[in-house]
Amino acid sequence: MYSIRNKLNLTIIGSMIVVLSITAGFLYLRVSGHVAKVFDDAIYDKAQALISLTELDEEGLEFDFAEEGVMLEFQQHQLPQYYQLWENGVDLLIKSPLLGETDLPLIGTEPGAHQFADMTLPDGRNGRLIEINFLPRVEIEDDEEDEDYGAEIPPPKPVTMVFSRERESLDDTLFAIASTIFGVIVIVLLISGLLIWRLVGNGLSPLSNLAKQVSTIDESNLDARLNHEGAQSVEIAPIENQINHLLERLQSAFEREKRFSANAAHELRTPLSELKTLAEVAKMVPDDREQVLSFFDDIGEISGQMEKMVATLLELSRSEAGLLRTDPENIELAGFCEQIWLHAVNGQGADKVLRRHIPEGLVINTDREKLGMILSNLFVNAVSYSPDNAEIAINAEIRNDNVVLEVRNASIDLKPEDILHMKDRFWRKQKVHGESGHSGLGLTLVDALAGVMKLDVSLRLDNQQTFMVTISGLSPSVH
Amino acid sequence: MKLLLVEDSERLQRSLSTGLKKHGFAVDQAFDGEEALAYTAVNQYDAIVLDLMLPKIDGLTVLSKLRNEGKDCHVLILSANDQTEDRVRGLDLGADDYLVKPFAFNELVSRLQALNRRRSGVKSPVIEIEGIKVDSVARQVSFDDQPVTLTPHEYQLLEFLARRRGRVFSHDQLIDQLYDAGSYVTRNAVEAHISALRKRLNSAGAPNLVITRRGFGYLIE
Repeated sequence: MYSIRNKLNLTIIGSMIVVLSITAGFLYLRVSGHVAKVFDDAIYDKAQALISLTELDEEGLEFDFAEEGVMLEFQQHQLPQYYQLWENGVDLLIKSPLLGETDLPLIGTEPGAHQFADMTLPDGRNGRLIEINFLPRVEIEDDEEDEDYGAEIPPPKPVTMVFSRERESLDDTLFAIASTIFGVIVIVLLISGLLIWRLVGNGLSPLSNLAKQVSTIDESNLDARLNHEGAQSVEIAPIENQINHLLERLQSAFEREKRFSANAAHELRTPLSELKTLAEVAKMVPDDREQVLSFFDDIGEISGQMEKMVATLLELSRSEAGLLRTDPENIELAGFCEQIWLHAVNGQGADKVLRRHIPEGLVINTDREKLGMILSNLFVNAVSYSPDNAEIAINAEIRNDNVVLEVRNASIDLKPEDILHMKDRFWRKQKVHGESGHSGLGLTLVDALAGVMKLDVSLRLDNQQTFMVTISGLSPSVH
Repeated sequence: MKLLLVEDSERLQRSLSTGLKKHGFAVDQAFDGEEALAYTAVNQYDAIVLDLMLPKIDGLTVLSKLRNEGKDCHVLILSANDQTEDRVRGLDLGADDYLVKPFAFNELVSRLQALNRRRSGVKSPVIEIEGIKVDSVARQVSFDDQPVTLTPHEYQLLEFLARRRGRVFSHDQLIDQLYDAGSYVTRNAVEAHISALRKRLNSAGAPNLVITRRGFGYLIE
């Protein structure tokens, strides 16, 4: 695992070091090149000055710069400069008196050309030289021409001159330039690094805050929600919203799971408890034949109830596993509903009536068995959970080429929030006196079967406490 | 010991009330919360066995109302909810005990008897008075270690009065405390049970414990 902040800091600062180093190197090369050129130009100018003070006359070559007291830089012992001249690049003409026995190095330059080189001066300092190959200037004086008429000036021969001087001033300048450039770069990097560290930290603070909040959430506080202070960033907002939605769903799933466990425990433990007590108490009254027989009846009832529950659970498992298939056929809806009502209610809802609002002759094409189970569950629920003498209504109408069925009844103590849980397994709002056939699986099964039949089941509760189950997606028969 | 059994399952009601009556409890039956409150409004019970998931008014609301009305009878919650928070909620609302379904019937009986002992202030299941021992667990009476055979009604009377020594109970109070609402017991029947109890104790050589206070009722001193 790595830290985004550290990675960002290292990447940005590393990039800055590379970019600034390249910039510094380039800048140094440019500036140092220019300074070195200025230095070399100065050497060149000085060499040109020496050349201009070299002239050829009938007496031969004259070196005016070598005269005593003319150019003191060649004569003083403190920070001296040096020169040396050769004819044809071989024969020594003259050299600085301070060179003594030492010679300046010859590089070998083409006539009319010049070149620079670094060297170590005879006094041990770092120096720089220029070597120029030139033809000396011929000096013709008018009055001398007249006096020495007939004297001839020998033809000029190529002279190689090497002029050298210390380069420590250049080196010092270059060092100062380099120090300045790299010093500035280091300072800029340090300041930038601190700024980057701080700014990245500030920039990532919403993310850090988010991580801190998320790390405190576990199964014990799923009701916690992520929040922030101040304006929300466009990058974090969708993450925060999604996590909050996820938490909501997780909390809801946990609560549903908890309810499911409690409800399942209740639905399974109650019949078990009945069986256990019946068995134990029956042993206490072995001689009371009538009592024992009634207990056997109870055991039979409980077994039937548990069998029904297990069958429903199996049916749900099959539907979830995709093992249920539909077998559509044409069904005359009004008669079918009446038949299911009579079979499902079977006398238990004697005080309740079914009002049918189904177009006469309406035929639908669907799975008879599954629609029968759906309607049967809805009718039994409507009868069980409606007030005495309530009217149960079933309406059918065609909307957008589909048949929409609606079962409605007045409800007892149902609240809008209950609608959210009604399809949960084993969920029951409250028990109804004397009921034993309900296990809270009816609407779960209805929803599962509707899913298999590709129908949509929606539940509603209106302000008048009328509970409505709407089944849509039924196909009318084409015949 | 007079009980109110509040349970919506008719089958469980049938078997439990049969078994409890067999153990000498007087049992009234309520099938929903509303009925339970109606019973408690007019009867006094030593204990109430209360289911939580009840039609009309749920068990916890019934319990809460009973305690708010100042009723101090023992309440044993009998529920399929086994979560700790369910038990804590029930006990916090004033229940004295909590038993999770499915349960052993004998455990229920023992817990009810324990509640009864707690109510009477006598912790021991065996009460001994002048050599007569009343074992409330075995539901047996003996004198000088010799068993004394009593009918369930006679035993109930003896144990009830023995647990409340020194207190006088009228005929009506005894009928109210020892018989369920469905039993039409008359004053004469109570007198007949008392008389029979005395005879059985006498024939076993035991002293006559049950004393008549004319115009007031009966007691064991």
